[in-house]
Amino acid sequence: MKEVMLDCLGEACPIPLVKAENKLKELEIGDMLIVQIDHSCAMKNVPEWARKEGYNVEVEEVDDGEWEVIIEKTK
Amino acid sequence: MAEQTRPAASRRSSANRKPKKNQIPFGFITVAFIVVVAILLNMNSTNVAFFWITGTAFGFILQKGRFCFTASMRDPYLTGSTSITRAVIIAFALTTIGFTAIKYGYSSAGLPIPGMSYVVPISIATLIGAFMFGIGMVIAGGCASGTLMRVGEGFFMNAIALVFFIIGSLWGAHDFGWWKEFFISKGPSIFLPDVFGWMGAVLLQLFVLLGLYVLAEQYEKKRGSSH
Amino acid sequence: MEKKNGKFFDRMKSNEYYIKWLKNPFTYIVAAVLLSLFQIVTLAVSKNPWGVSGVFAVWGAWIYEAVGGSVDKWYYFASSGAQATLEGGLLNHADSWRNLGIIFGALAATLLASGFKIKKIKSKKQVIAAALGGLLMGYGARIAFGCNIGALYSGIASLSLSGWVFAIGMFAGAVVGSKLLVKYFM
Repeated sequence: MKEVMLDCLGEACPIPLVKAENKLKELEIGDMLIVQIDHSCAMKNVPEWARKEGYNVEVEEVDDGEWEVIIEKTK
Repeated sequence: MAEQTRPAASRRSSANRKPKKNQIPFGFITVAFIVVVAILLNMNSTNVAFFWITGTAFGFILQKGRFCFTASMRDPYLTGSTSITRAVIIAFALTTIGFTAIKYGYSSAGLPIPGMSYVVPISIATLIGAFMFGIGMVIAGGCASGTLMRVGEGFFMNAIALVFFIIGSLWGAHDFGWWKEFFISKGPSIFLPDVFGWMGAVLLQLFVLLGLYVLAEQYEKKRGSSH
Repeated sequence: MEKKNGKFFDRMKSNEYYIKWLKNPFTYIVAAVLLSLFQIVTLAVSKNPWGVSGVFAVWGAWIYEAVGGSVDKWYYFASSGAQATLEGGLLNHADSWRNLGIIFGALAATLLASGFKIKKIKSKKQVIAAALGGLLMGYGARIAFGCNIGALYSGIASLSLSGWVFAIGMFAGAVVGSKLLVKYFM
């Protein structure tokens, strides 16, 4: 059970999503991936993708225009 | 929107974060600015003021909806998601119905049909230009409307893209004569109602859009289960 | 006064209609319906559908002429209509104001959601990607009679076959662009 931060601040779509996808493959079940983003589209498509994959997802607005997408690798 | 799903098992503490500034007042100032500019433009020309207002509406909707034409073309290939693609298809279908109603109204009254300057010749230049555009929008992180919208959101990267979009446009305009002479002038302009009749053209197009919608949804399901 | 305002706007943040309409994003479908509505309004009032990228050529020509160049001999700007547009200036060019409006409309939406942030350049790669992408979009849009809005969206909605041809080219370009992006710009 570890937490991994993925810094995607300043990255434009679709890079945060592709990075998150690659990172999540490396993680083990039960691990948490925290994707930091400031791209308003990624704030919608990263959670959408992760939910579709069946992971637990939470989006938190940490600052104005900055979000953390917390993904728990459940399977 | 339902952003609050089941909470993940363990949560990091978010105690040591600086308090957020409230930007809402600046939002209202921007809205007031938009209104003032509209009033000033209206003194000169109502048409210009109308364009300004519709522009702000388009920008507002694009941003609020995170509506991204780039993603609609890119995501099916890159991530297998077609949710924006399907929304774009819906927009095409709805606008087709509205546009055709207006056009038919003019046509049946014996008036010149509006917007026919958007029915343009089809040639290899259309394909090459669209292909270049497709590559450009994906690597620049935004299409024409998306680039403008993201400049408004504060992206430096898109501001650079906008500058080079303008340079590229000038370059394209410079070479346009050549393309026109060798390719565009030989291409036909095809207005679908001329071929299929008004009703036929609308039904055909809506049918094609419906087919694409179903295809997009099935494709997403198929790709989703494959990995 | 200042403080009272601050409190007013802070209270606003928890208002359910604020959250629904200004804070949270619209669904894609809502945006699609609203865009269609304004497209139809645009055609009905101005007799032309929405277009974006043609304006950029005009802006380019203005800048080029400001630094001493001339586009008068270019086929693209040779028509009397294009010449009138260039001479009329920004204040009389409605299409320019629509593009500026997109920027300000998006800015207003972002600020009202309290989500504005200046996003600086992160790497050299981003600069190259943005510059190259911008050039490709600009050039491509000129020879194909428009961009994703004018050639694609308005083209298809105008029942022009050119819109569909543009869609095919654009989709192929997006696939190639995705490959380039993942390989070189990530």
